Amino acid sequence: MMKPTRGQLITAFLCLIPLAFLLFEWQNGSLSANPIEALTQRTGRSAVILLLASLACTPLRRLLGLSALLPVRKTLGLAAFGYAALHFLVFAGLDFEFNLSWILPEIRQKFFIQIGLVALALLIPLAITSVQKLQRSMAGNWRRLHRLAYPIMALALWHYYLASKGDILLPLIYLAIFAILMLFRIPPLSKISIGSKPRALQRLNQFLLS
Amino acid sequence: MSKPIKSSEITPEALYLSRRRFIKNTLTMAAASLYLSACGNQSPASPTALPTSSLPLPSAGASADELGNNLTSYDDIIGYTNYYEFSTDKNGPARLAQNFKTSPWSVEVGGYVNNARTFDMDELKSLFDQEERIYRMRCVEAWSMVIPWVGFPLHKLLDIVEPTSDTRFVRFETLYDPDQMPGQRNSFFPFPYIEGLRLDEAMHDLTIMATGLYGRDLSPQNGAPLRLVVPWKYGFKSIKSVVKIDLVGEMPTSLWMASGPSEYGFYANVNPSVPHPRWSQATERRIGEGGRIDTLLFNGYEDEVASLYEGKDLSIDF
Repeated sequence: MMKPTRGQLITAFLCLIPLAFLLFEWQNGSLSANPIEALTQRTGRSAVILLLASLACTPLRRLLGLSALLPVRKTLGLAAFGYAALHFLVFAGLDFEFNLSWILPEIRQKFFIQIGLVALALLIPLAITSVQKLQRSMAGNWRRLHRLAYPIMALALWHYYLASKGDILLPLIYLAIFAILMLFRIPPLSKISIGSKPRALQRLNQFLLS
Repeated sequence: MSKPIKSSEITPEALYLSRRRFIKNTLTMAAASLYLSACGNQSPASPTALPTSSLPLPSAGASADELGNNLTSYDDIIGYTNYYEFSTDKNGPARLAQNFKTSPWSVEVGGYVNNARTFDMDELKSLFDQEERIYRMRCVEAWSMVIPWVGFPLHKLLDIVEPTSDTRFVRFETLYDPDQMPGQRNSFFPFPYIEGLRLDEAMHDLTIMATGLYGRDLSPQNGAPLRLVVPWKYGFKSIKSVVKIDLVGEMPTSLWMASGPSEYGFYANVNPSVPHPRWSQATERRIGEGGRIDTLLFNGYEDEVASLYEGKDLSIDF
């Protein structure tokens, strides 16, 4: 097990904030009159935002020359998986009380749930293979496998869009961000870099890597 | 409509609150066992004090509907509302509707009638006895409440204007005033809000125009000063802050029919066996209580309204 970088520790701390808020609001009863709905929506939104953030790491690393974002990407991806798994547990456990005679018809009837489940299932091998050792031994296969992050993001946004009632502004905003991040993966945008790093950025990179 | 109930039958407020607290703690522990293990040792639930001042007891003394379902708390009814004219967030309207102007208010009743006229809100309240009706309210989003409404049957109002024989439907319209209702600027929805009923549905005695709840005037976020309540249909049929009622010959296109024709039908009768693409309609969650309960056909008003739909395939006319 590699020692986490400072960037990873800071990221992990930030990723836990939405969860801390949820638990706090749950405890003092301020999670609206329908707390399970709030838990479902907010864990799902957290997962989407963190997935987007993990997809922003590579373009930002290239653009700004911040190599410290590489380990940060892993933390973000794992946190996104954590929120996605929580999102599923709230649905299956809190909302439908692990009652298969309720859950199975839901899954059978609702396309948006099927999409969400596929996205979550595809995240599992990515989470497992985020272990450093496996990453090394898999080499090129690891990179190919982790390209699944793109279809997973697309599925998650589709799921979010279909689950929204009329007001689709937020899913559309996330979709636009996703599109921009994808554009930065193909030339000419993928080639852009600020070149020589300003000292402040170099120092930030050092700080996050240590 | 409700017969007097002995004061001994009223749920004492303290008992009411302790029941809520029990449910909340049960849920909290369920949540804790689900995922707190990942976050270290947070001890589950020291009982949180709930505000006791703002919970009025129901005006007529009843604490449950005719099936024995407990009334939803006043705080939850006024705090958690779907009112897209103010916000698509159900916690938003309570805040954003605070300054909504409900007086003076008048309602224009016209179309295929012999006596088209405009009613002032005060006149409406004095023309008809205000009755308390405890109804279940089932939202299409699979949550529900039990609400002690105050109001009058719509048929009393329609009798005054005298629908002509050409009338087949009733069309309702909410106030359109984006300055007061910022959500009406949301271009995803074709405001103003429109709803409709078949004439026989509108004339049914269960269909009321509500002016209050829990013995108080309606709060703006609940559709003040005047809203429709049709308890056997999904909540979105019960249009809020009505300014116009038209008797018409053609089936009106409601706002939800216009924005999602495959999802929202004209009838929108509560029906556990007609699924919605997003929400289970087989079960529902009663606000303020734990667990899921079965959704009843016509929201439990089958005996009263099933005859309105004889010979109809409810999965086609949904």
